Amino acid sequence: MAVPGTFRWVAPPVTRRAVDANETRFAQLFDEYSAPIYNYVLRMVSDPDRAADITQDTFIKAYRKLDTVTDATSTRSWLYRIATNTAIDDMRRRRMVSPMRDDAPTFANRADDRPGPEAQVMASTLDERVQRALGTLRPNHRQCLLLSDLEDMSAQQIGEVMGLSYAAVRTLLCRARGEMRRALSAEGFAR
Amino acid sequence: MTMNRHEPFEELISASMSGDLTDLERGRLDAHLDSCPACRATLAAFAEQRRIMAGLRHVAPPRDLAARVRTGVERGRFVALPWWRRPAVMFAGVGGSLAAVAGALLALVLLNGSPEDPNVGANSPTPTPITTPSSSPEATPVPTRVPTLEPETTLPPVVTDPSPSASMVESSASPVPSVDPSPTTTPAPASPQPDVFLALTGAADNLRMTVQEPQPAGASPVPIAEVEQPSGPAIAAELSPDGQWLAYITELGQSGLNEVRVTRLDHREGSPDSPIDVGGTGVLGESMAGSPFTERLTWSPDGRFLAYSATVDNATDIFVFAPESGESQQLTDVGNAFAGSWTPSANDVQRLWVSTAGDEPMSYLVEVGEQLDEMPTLIDPADGAAAVAEGVFQPLLNPAGHLAIYWTGRMELIGEFWQLVEGGAPILSEHRRDGDAFEFSNERPLFSDLTIQQDAFTSAAIAWGTDGDAYAVWDTQWTGESQGDDTLYPDPARVYFGHATDPRGLTQVHAIDADDLPEETSVVDVKVSPTGEHLLVTVRHPLPGDLSAPAADLLLIERNTGEEADIVSTLNFGEGGGWFGPAAFDGDPETIGIGN
Repeated sequence: MAVPGTFRWVAPPVTRRAVDANETRFAQLFDEYSAPIYNYVLRMVSDPDRAADITQDTFIKAYRKLDTVTDATSTRSWLYRIATNTAIDDMRRRRMVSPMRDDAPTFANRADDRPGPEAQVMASTLDERVQRALGTLRPNHRQCLLLSDLEDMSAQQIGEVMGLSYAAVRTLLCRARGEMRRALSAEGFAR
Repeated sequence: MTMNRHEPFEELISASMSGDLTDLERGRLDAHLDSCPACRATLAAFAEQRRIMAGLRHVAPPRDLAARVRTGVERGRFVALPWWRRPAVMFAGVGGSLAAVAGALLALVLLNGSPEDPNVGANSPTPTPITTPSSSPEATPVPTRVPTLEPETTLPPVVTDPSPSASMVESSASPVPSVDPSPTTTPAPASPQPDVFLALTGAADNLRMTVQEPQPAGASPVPIAEVEQPSGPAIAAELSPDGQWLAYITELGQSGLNEVRVTRLDHREGSPDSPIDVGGTGVLGESMAGSPFTERLTWSPDGRFLAYSATVDNATDIFVFAPESGESQQLTDVGNAFAGSWTPSANDVQRLWVSTAGDEPMSYLVEVGEQLDEMPTLIDPADGAAAVAEGVFQPLLNPAGHLAIYWTGRMELIGEFWQLVEGGAPILSEHRRDGDAFEFSNERPLFSDLTIQQDAFTSAAIAWGTDGDAYAVWDTQWTGESQGDDTLYPDPARVYFGHATDPRGLTQVHAIDADDLPEETSVVDVKVSPTGEHLLVTVRHPLPGDLSAPAADLLLIERNTGEEADIVSTLNFGEGGGWFGPAAFDGDPETIGIGN
């Protein structure tokens, strides 16, 4: 899935002249996956700026490792794994940073000044409420739920992305759905 | 934990959402759904949840994303910069309130005259930002070598100006030179080599984890145990005092969880038996990954107990593993308890400093019985503690138990982790017997040249050396402006190497040379060799992004001798790379003086 018309990968002039196969392949990859990867990362980190940085690093890493991917069917898992790893690296390094001062509005918390929980729920868009619910999940629960329900991946594919066995993914996914069910309920969703 | 009767079917319902059911499982689930309204409700809820998730608004990426990627590819060096070194990101992280902070600092200075440190004890010096006498890296002075620590030695008087003095020598090796381990003291005969280290090698889909023992004269190490089904690379490891058990923490794939494991390495005559055979591995439990306050393992001096903290469902509690029973048991049930250190003990009663996070952290001295089944289970450490230390969080005792490094500052639960949010600072103190208990005294800030006010630590990882004097600090997480004169300080990418007997405390110049660690790597674990002059540093390479295995180097770093650069050697063995580290040392009772 790509968002048409907003951006495209343009190969560097030198390789454009050389009609480098890797450049063409990367251009296709970027065109097809940059928007889904950005959205996946955005839902994971709840911060548009960080999501952009992580997506950017993801594709730079992908470019450098492109020749290591020979199986077209695993390209998607490979790319999501890079994105997941890059996001985890980012979260790992940021985990303890600036708890006192990090008051910049983020995707998830920019509505914190609203009067009360009930009014907040009523005033929020559905999207914000879902994102808030997602934000309460453990990172690994959030990851596998997004890969399943947003990216429509199978347990096998999620396992490839997260480095987990098929059985571990099924267990993790079930826990994530249970946790999300409670989180959505707290956000005023019926079930 | 008991499983409710719906649980197996809930997993099937969840798997059915993505079509991950076999025909057999589908049949079982359908039959159950016919007769179970609760599971039908779960099915409806999960289906609705999936519909909601799939309908999330699609957000267009920034228009300049392609240009940014192209620039990064062409320059080929963007990812070489850790995020904290990227000016734009740094401002995004802390810049929102820079003006307010500057205003607050100005107000403090106007009201108080100077931004003195309010968070240190009576012996605390007024922290002085370090100054470099020369702009030339070659001319930066180095502190002199400090004396050897005797077990009962008290901490030296604090010098009021930790800046380098004229007695210090120059270094040509590094912009920020290191401590000079000058030959004024007799070198310790101990070997810098670790007793064991972990290695994770092989292809990503066929990883093999072994415990290896280094051999003299650079010979290939000998694998002494193989770990069954490694869940991922190890990020922490501690040998039991008798060297028979290796406790370690591994990452659980990319799940954001860690596993705590033990492997039995050896059996020595006279030591208690265990249901776990030599070479056997036990998985003790899982914990959320990401906090140095929980990613810590501590063996009791007699080796009968391993204490560790685990965060599950936003609650952190302490667990204790007993090799003799082969079982692990939850000790606390308060949701904010962290394992500190075991105190020295000359008898069978082992006592553990248990810390609770909060507005004012507390530490409680909790007694553990002779056997695991005698342990008080699910305790509130505040009830019946042998001693209480207010404002003290996670005291880390040196192996002899006479000195401590602990945290002070206000803590809050942020997301899933308890974090220091105000006045966070590591403190160096004596740890003295007081009747039947212990007390912390003669405190002073560990970092003597940092001003802790609005800017403060949120965490760092700390390890003592077995000589009881040397210690290392790394993964320094700092909120606020850098306090380095010309380099980032504290720098999360550097390791700070100090000695308790150094009257200057720990300063910016105690960072190991900038060139010691390979570019783009981050420090996972540090051990101080019994020599007190060598570090064993495990450094993680950036996640490769492809489906290859994670990689880390185990580096042996010998601190420079004044004008010499640090000597760095890589303890990686074998071909094809892999994850090497962390290293571990056993506790030699003669070296560390346990029982004094």
